[in-house]
Amino acid sequence: MTTVHTAPARSRSGARTAWFVVAIGALAAVAVASVGVGAHAIAPADVLRALFTPTGTSDDIVVRHIRAPRALLAVGVGAALGVAGVLVQVISRNALAEPGVLGVTTGAGFAITVGSAAGFTAPAAGELALAVVGAVLATAVVYAVGRGSPLRLVLTGVALSSVLSGVSLGMRLLLPDVFDEYRFWSVGSLAGREQAPLLVPLLVIGAALVGSVLLSRQLNAVALGETMARSLGSNVAGVRLGALVLITVLAGSATAIAGPILFVGLIVPHLARRVAGGSVPWLVAHAAVLGPILLLTSDVGSRVLLPTGEVPVAVVTAFLGGPVLIWAVRRYGAAPL
Amino acid sequence: MPVPRLARAVGALVLAAGLTAGCGSGSDEPSAPTGATRVFTADNGDITIPAAPKRVIATGYAVPALLEAGAPLVGISTWRRGLPMMTPQTRAAYDTLAKVAGESAAETNYEAIAQAEPDLIVIGVPKPVLADIELERLRAIAPVVALGPSLPSGWRELSRRQADAAGALATFDTVRDAYRNKTRGIAAKYAGVLPRLRCAHLGAYGEIANGNFQREFNGSWGTNVAQDLGADYYGQVKVKGGGSKEVSEYPSIEELPSAFGEAEVITYTIAADGSTPGGVRYVLDSPLWKGLSAVKAGRVYPLRYTEATTYGSAMATADAVDKALEPLLNS
Amino acid sequence: MSAVVLRRGRFSVRVERRTLVFAAVAGLVVVGLALLGLCYGAVWASPAKVFAALSGDSGVVIRQWRLPRVLAGALFGAALGAAGAIFQGITGNPLGSPEVIGLDAGAYTGALVALTVLNGTSTQLVTGSVLGGLGAATAVYLLSRSGGLSGLRLVVIGISVNAMLTAVNSWIVLRAELEIAIAAVGWSAGSLNGLGWDDVRIPFAVLGVLLVVLASRSRAARQAGLGREVAVTTGVGLERLRLQLVLIGVGCTATVTAVAGPIAFIALSAPQIGRRLAGAPGVPMLPAALTGAVLLLVTDLLAQVLLAPVPLPAGVVSTAVGGSYLIWLLARKVGSR
Repeated sequence: MTTVHTAPARSRSGARTAWFVVAIGALAAVAVASVGVGAHAIAPADVLRALFTPTGTSDDIVVRHIRAPRALLAVGVGAALGVAGVLVQVISRNALAEPGVLGVTTGAGFAITVGSAAGFTAPAAGELALAVVGAVLATAVVYAVGRGSPLRLVLTGVALSSVLSGVSLGMRLLLPDVFDEYRFWSVGSLAGREQAPLLVPLLVIGAALVGSVLLSRQLNAVALGETMARSLGSNVAGVRLGALVLITVLAGSATAIAGPILFVGLIVPHLARRVAGGSVPWLVAHAAVLGPILLLTSDVGSRVLLPTGEVPVAVVTAFLGGPVLIWAVRRYGAAPL
Repeated sequence: MPVPRLARAVGALVLAAGLTAGCGSGSDEPSAPTGATRVFTADNGDITIPAAPKRVIATGYAVPALLEAGAPLVGISTWRRGLPMMTPQTRAAYDTLAKVAGESAAETNYEAIAQAEPDLIVIGVPKPVLADIELERLRAIAPVVALGPSLPSGWRELSRRQADAAGALATFDTVRDAYRNKTRGIAAKYAGVLPRLRCAHLGAYGEIANGNFQREFNGSWGTNVAQDLGADYYGQVKVKGGGSKEVSEYPSIEELPSAFGEAEVITYTIAADGSTPGGVRYVLDSPLWKGLSAVKAGRVYPLRYTEATTYGSAMATADAVDKALEPLLNS
Repeated sequence: MSAVVLRRGRFSVRVERRTLVFAAVAGLVVVGLALLGLCYGAVWASPAKVFAALSGDSGVVIRQWRLPRVLAGALFGAALGAAGAIFQGITGNPLGSPEVIGLDAGAYTGALVALTVLNGTSTQLVTGSVLGGLGAATAVYLLSRSGGLSGLRLVVIGISVNAMLTAVNSWIVLRAELEIAIAAVGWSAGSLNGLGWDDVRIPFAVLGVLLVVLASRSRAARQAGLGREVAVTTGVGLERLRLQLVLIGVGCTATVTAVAGPIAFIALSAPQIGRRLAGAPGVPMLPAALTGAVLLLVTDLLAQVLLAPVPLPAGVVSTAVGGSYLIWLLARKVGSR
């Protein structure tokens, strides 16, 4: 982005930085709170003791092996979904787009359902690989068919998602054994994932986040429109392809470890746009912080509302996110990015 | 299928007349069975059924029960969840019979049922699911008896009522008595050990996605056959929820120590092929599980065939429980 | 572009020639499929037998079982297609279909509440799903009304409402007894299996009235589709017209959902497929309705044949058929460039 140093631009930039700092502070607070909340509350002092000087009590085990990994997972998944949502909306120039419409989520879920239907009982790591491959294949199909225009891309994505979920539905009606497996992957959740290998997917997400920041400056040009981008000397096709790869990796790994949590990818970009304006680098930065905040808050909510952990986090994100999105649309309108 | 229909009796009567005329039975009163009849009380009211049915259709839980009781079946629904529990003979009968419905009540093929010309239809689905079936349309073909499950341990009475309706009590009672003899024998073996222990059961229906596990008390799927052998699964659910939730609950994995901490013996459900279901594996792998006193003492036993809903298959369950608990006798 | 003007007294309708040809062909296809549907069943009936059954007293299975099902396939499909065309026309977005903006999800919520909280009797289920659909539509309408029914806005608000309702539905299914959950999943894929005259008489009457009213408004709707300026200059009360159209669309969707369950993707794909085949501008009603009828009839036949004698829910097949065709259409367009 070519920054013109005028006074309004500078104050805008200052506001963005201030909001960013506030958001990071909020993220830290929510993260600490989320470790203390659960089937029974654990005081912050005990949380810190469990983290740094564990004695092996059951509270220590709960904090170290269940709640802390869960919070970490929420941060990674939230950031991945939020940033993927920004990238989808920018390259499709469609305020309605989200990672799910590119078939990433459905592709991942479908691959896992097919895998279990074929009797492929892989360990969690294999399941993760399966999900990412499914996401990549689905995205490749959607991109090959719908690359003509942003609208067609979205339409193809929705069509493919529907076909795949229809086939999944048919399969789980025919094979009830797969039914429970499907229920696991049909509603996104952060619970029960603490035993899955988290290091690799979180590292992958981290790398993709860095890649998104690097690509965001070129995306700024694409966001202005293809003709404009070309005249500014951008390789539009290349940038788009790069963004697609990042979206697939981000949303694919997030889905593979947490299941489909669609709403974060739709709402975070809309919220980020309120503070970041149209600048893609700032959008990416804000989304990377707002996503985790939304997910952690939802997760805390799910445990406070029903301590048995019966409410999956995706249900809560929809409940928190739905009204916020409606408010945002009513307040600001839904202009294309 | 969707929404249950607002069926009306008038249409059904017209239908009945035409149908049987098409089948060439020539009877003036087609929906009433020919020969001796009796009145049978089912979930859907008092039904007039043939005293000795000749051609029976079974769906849902009635499929394994009537197969085992040797009822004169002419068509069944598919029943995949019961397949691993079936004996080879039952399985052979299952495979040869015409399938007239799928796993869910919505997948009922009414024309195929009519074509089988049954004189009795036994529907073994839970009451809420009955709304998914065109009862009026079925009633136009033959008398319909709905007998569905309620509590998990209720299969004993349920399968007997289903066999009774189908006129197959003789074989049924033979199998039931064989089961009772078997369990009585095994219970005597464990009489000095099992009744004095505080047992707890980890069920297979916990949801990893919810981070919870299933604890089953007396009268649940995983526990009811072991109870016949003398086991006592202490405690009861915190909030009774009707149906299976009267006898099992789903606490968060964080509550594992408080739920199972006092148990002296823990049994857990495994699949018929001996593999460990995901929801169970999740609990077994948790660091909290390893801290339980029963686990430290090594008194943890996997149980196979906990899904039995007939006396015949429950005999396999009793044998499996016997084999699993054998180490208790030596301790 | 050549056009034909049909005149009858004071009324005249100007129809594109290609649309007229398409309508004639599609009408023939509908009749052919309906005949095939009457022939097919556990026992194959020859067309001669079917005609004999339709005219005489014999063949109760054909007249009492197959005929209502086939008619329901045609009429429900047409209603879904028309409802899709209405919403896609008003929102100006192919994604602005009833199932995308939460009408199906709302109807499903109503039915789930009836199934799990109440006793789940037939009347409760039907009432519940109609109330749920109307509730969802009212919420979307009221939330998006204050700024006019601007398309993108309505779709985003609809997607939010849909996400919230879908979350509620998943939550109810996750909480439910396994037995009820399986029944509820069966319900989530609509089906025409087991429909008899008593089930369809009232829905047929309602849909008949709605479609006739819609036909009388279609000329105005076409003008509205040309843009606000044209519509205003020709004296069409745009907001009032849109409200009427929305009510018709909601009525069509809720009526079909109440009787047959949610049959996904017909409303989304029929208008797009019909528009391309008819080569007409905008999102015309007639091609959408005819395509919807063809799609649902094909779908229902496939649902009966695929795993005979066990019938599949038509909703599963509709998703696969409609979605695949839409993808093929999009792919062909890309290929011809």
